[in-house]
Amino acid sequence: MTTVAPRLEDLWPCLQGMIPAALSTCALDGTPNITFVSQIHYVDAAHVAISHQFFNKTHRNVRENPPACAMMLDPRTLQAYRLYLRFKRSESSGPLFDSMSLQLQAIASYSGMTDVFRLLAADIYEVLRIERVEGFTSLPAPPPAERPSGLFIDEDLVSLRLLAERLNRCELLGDLLETSLQLLDERFGFRHSMILLADERNGKLFTIASRGYAQNGVGSEVGFGDGLIGMVARARRALRLSAIDHSLRYARAVRDRAEAVAGKEALCREIPLPGLPGAAAQIAVPLTVRGQLIGVLAVESPEPLAFMSREDSLLTIVAAQLAAGIEHLSREQDDSAVALHTRPQPAPAAGASARARHFCFFHADDCVFVDGDYLIRNVPGRILWRLLTQYCGDGRSEFTNRELRMDSWLRLPEFKDNLESRLILLRKRMEQKCPDVRLVPRGRGRFALETDVAIELSEKKA
Amino acid sequence: MIPSTMCDLLRTGVSVIVGTRDAALTPECTRAWGIRVGADRASVTIFLTETVSGKTLCNLKENGLIAVSCTRPTDHVACQLKGRLRRIRPATEKELELSAAWHREFAAELLAVGFQPQLAEQWITRPALAVEIDVTDVFQQTPGPGTGERVRP
Repeated sequence: MTTVAPRLEDLWPCLQGMIPAALSTCALDGTPNITFVSQIHYVDAAHVAISHQFFNKTHRNVRENPPACAMMLDPRTLQAYRLYLRFKRSESSGPLFDSMSLQLQAIASYSGMTDVFRLLAADIYEVLRIERVEGFTSLPAPPPAERPSGLFIDEDLVSLRLLAERLNRCELLGDLLETSLQLLDERFGFRHSMILLADERNGKLFTIASRGYAQNGVGSEVGFGDGLIGMVARARRALRLSAIDHSLRYARAVRDRAEAVAGKEALCREIPLPGLPGAAAQIAVPLTVRGQLIGVLAVESPEPLAFMSREDSLLTIVAAQLAAGIEHLSREQDDSAVALHTRPQPAPAAGASARARHFCFFHADDCVFVDGDYLIRNVPGRILWRLLTQYCGDGRSEFTNRELRMDSWLRLPEFKDNLESRLILLRKRMEQKCPDVRLVPRGRGRFALETDVAIELSEKKA
Repeated sequence: MIPSTMCDLLRTGVSVIVGTRDAALTPECTRAWGIRVGADRASVTIFLTETVSGKTLCNLKENGLIAVSCTRPTDHVACQLKGRLRRIRPATEKELELSAAWHREFAAELLAVGFQPQLAEQWITRPALAVEIDVTDVFQQTPGPGTGERVRP
């Protein structure tokens, strides 16, 4: 009779710590060792973890000779299963360690032994083979019960939980945006993504963060109703396009339109929207809070069938959390309790530095060029100009959001000024265009202008 | 020699697990159906079935090295014996009775920790082979500080 090898998930009753499991290892000198372990913990379909509380022979053996063999009993029938294992690594921090450690501490506290029972590490083993031990019991195997859904959760759910926890910890808007795109890439495989924020007054969206593109495109703009992103912003509904035709690609459409309407001269003041040259599938999800549009989260892929309803759902969940986070962290951040770590930096004397950056401000359209290249315009352009003139004129290098809000020349709206996102935009454009002149956050509501070069300024009147 | 406190432990309904290894140092483990301390207190006999412990018996015939751990389920008092195979033979009638007595005691231990004794009663413990082992080392294995320390007679 041939029996199908059980999967680790099928052994869920054995993995609850009801009956200690046997674990045998072997020293490099050939001496076998056998011990009981209180619980074998499920990690994923191919890995288990065993708590390592005391330095012992098992601990030493697997580090010099990684194979191990475990025998577990099903508490319902006392049927035995063998797991052929291989020690992979030891974790002494991270979510698995934390949850095993907390469980151990809780049990230890019941018996007043919190100092004795302490998790040193979670030892991770790869499961090479699982064997049902035949001829062990005369009891029939229990009917293959449905696996309790609460026990082995979907990998996507694990990733969503991690993302929710990480986003929840972000204290600065910039961190929130970067973390979300990073996790969408690393945990869900969304390699090419961008976040655009809504500028309701001008009926536009501007790119505030992106990942997986040759050009970060931060500062690029899309009108409400233009292309997939603009449509999603207007309709406030998620939209997925699979196997899209080349002519529908919004990035190209936006660029072509800009060229046709305004000519090459104006185009040099347009930042191209990030886009994959061969994008074949896209999803855009609105970022809304209480029905109000905050922005759009968009992803794309060169694979025509990369995005299905799973991807829709994942992004919609992430978008809800992201929108709430953006809204919260974009609020006035002036009343910072964070101590100000000032690092006074005297302005380099003109001519003292071998290198210099030349910034030029065009009053006609509030546009700043650096060394002849377009850098930024509108409110962020005015903010930069204000910072640069104060730096060069008064030698100031530390600034606060509060003083920018009080500055009428900047013409920030009184309500929902998006100052934090405008500063991120400015910071990222500078990273791309003049990395030796930087805006460095100094905690909530404070930042510094740092430069490695001399700064020269000029203006072109309207 | 096995210390007398350990001998007392081994006479109760302990859970008996067995570790061996093959020529490639790949470990194997199995369960034994009882343990009996030799009159010399320098050897033990454990009871295995061929079906459940085929690989273990192969390993023993190949290199003779064995580790046996015994734990009392109700209080986790435990020890580990290391040794060498003396011989493998079919269990005698008297030994089968000893194994059956162990089985009853072990079922009682399981009852005490909340398992229905009939579950353990369904374990297939025959036909049993008696595996005689010369004990070379005894280790303390009750969980906690000091676990893993060699025990002197």
